[in-house]
Amino acid sequence: MPIPKSEALSAEMLKPELHQSRSDDPMSDGSNLGPKVAEAVLTETETPEIDKKINENEVSDSNQPPKMPPSDPNLQVRIKTEKGNLWISLPGELKKEGSTISYAWSEIIQQIQQRLSGDSRSWDPNTPVRILANDRLLDTTQIQELTNILLQSNLSLKRFYTKRRQTAVAVATCGFSVEQQTAQQALITEASTKLLVADPMYIQMTLRSGTEIRHDGSVIVMGDMNPGSVVIAEGDILVWGKLRGIVHAGAGGNAGSIVMTTQMQPSQIRIADFVARGPSNVPAQFFPEVAYVTSQGKISITQAQNFTRL
Amino acid sequence: MGRVIVITSGKGGVGKTTTTANIGMALAQRNRKVVVVDADFGLRNLDLLLGLENRVVYTAVDVLSGQCRLEQALVKDKRRGNLVLLPAAQNRTKDSVNPAQMRQLISALAKVFDYVLVDSPAGIEMGFQNAIAAATEAIVVTTPEISAVRDADRVIGLLEANNIKKSGLIINRIRPKMVAVNDMMSVDDVTEILAIPLLGVVPDDEKVIVSTNKGEPLVLSGTPTQAGTAFENIARRLDGEKVEFLDLTVKDDLLSKIKNFFTKSI
Repeated sequence: MPIPKSEALSAEMLKPELHQSRSDDPMSDGSNLGPKVAEAVLTETETPEIDKKINENEVSDSNQPPKMPPSDPNLQVRIKTEKGNLWISLPGELKKEGSTISYAWSEIIQQIQQRLSGDSRSWDPNTPVRILANDRLLDTTQIQELTNILLQSNLSLKRFYTKRRQTAVAVATCGFSVEQQTAQQALITEASTKLLVADPMYIQMTLRSGTEIRHDGSVIVMGDMNPGSVVIAEGDILVWGKLRGIVHAGAGGNAGSIVMTTQMQPSQIRIADFVARGPSNVPAQFFPEVAYVTSQGKISITQAQNFTRL
Repeated sequence: MGRVIVITSGKGGVGKTTTTANIGMALAQRNRKVVVVDADFGLRNLDLLLGLENRVVYTAVDVLSGQCRLEQALVKDKRRGNLVLLPAAQNRTKDSVNPAQMRQLISALAKVFDYVLVDSPAGIEMGFQNAIAAATEAIVVTTPEISAVRDADRVIGLLEANNIKKSGLIINRIRPKMVAVNDMMSVDDVTEILAIPLLGVVPDDEKVIVSTNKGEPLVLSGTPTQAGTAFENIARRLDGEKVEFLDLTVKDDLLSKIKNFFTKSI
């Protein structure tokens, strides 16, 4: 991904381009300006206020601004193919510090179903599935439910990994092979899963309202992001379609991350610790655009063709 | 096996029950064997819209608890014998039934009837899960309002996640005059976001309120109404017939288009 890595360098190079794109807009009021409205409104009107607030927070609270939602992708169901296996990792039952999210079983099932239908290009039918249940407590009906979902997608459960004895017993009762991890083993698997999910995630589906995708790499969406959908990625976010939801790139704090889309209409863009609201009026024409953080600490949008020249 | 279609919306008050009653009646008029199932346990309305309230003796919950046979709970329509209603219990909540029971109930009905229309409650909680449990198709009803469309979008996502891939969209209560002056979302605006096949557009019509209060679905009325004809067309499309659509590309004068369309089809 050719992102300008050095902050200083990229900032220097971004500046002139930025002024160019703004030159025809009066800095004070960026509303009703035709095709360039997207950039104008996003950067000029009210967003700087939000930017400043976040910046203050950042300064006072050292690294993580408290308003940002947790970006830990382990809070969600994760699906990953590796060496001919499909890994499904279930979020743990125990709450991570600082977060209040703990998904109910029905939500987990929904997430698995959504991910399996949206990502089916990434594996062949009958790929063996390995499930990492972590510390989640599962009973036999829930395991049956899981295997039914896998059957619908032409997948079969190969092995189950859990840290809980009761879950292990339930899986064995259902007739699947299970591996109970000790604390040490679990540490190793956690480290390795951390590594193996750093690739970009492909999603081929319309992300509808209420869908939330978290990933600790870059995310590529082939389809629209409808209003009310959320993508949180530690890397870049590319949306090949209409971006109308909320995106958070560089959620781990990398302000060099970008958001790239063919139709930029976000309700909110977050990059690292910066926040910007989307424009309230729809521009007449859409171009592929890129959102990035400028050296002034603002989120700015420019046409993709200009950005790649930087 | 009959077709099991759930009518749902996410948001309340957009016309799920009205749609169910009218499509059910219109299909019955086409000599299909239709059962409409009220899945709104605790807040049942479908019997009122069909004017069958005073004939309800047993409900779906009574069937599930074994207090009566399924046939006993079915209420035959007084005007159309091939339309029957399976009423919901008024004195229970949505948690009194689970998806497995619902599946059992619906599959028994699907063996006998051509169409099983399930009227889903608003929301996406247990009641919704029950309603969609046995369905293989869905009709998503929305109004041209941003909140209704947002909820419909969420619901479509949930339907897809629950393996109901075949869904049609009904845009209810559209006001062509308001659309023409850009005061209301147009059909195109709505379909652009929701991106599922359009099954029909129902114009806003005061007669719907009258028919609801009388307990007589609009499609039964002798004098043709815009909304009634729209529902009839939806039923025909559902039944596999090709019925010409409103010309949706023209926005400036949709009203006359609708008028033309209806006079043509009548």
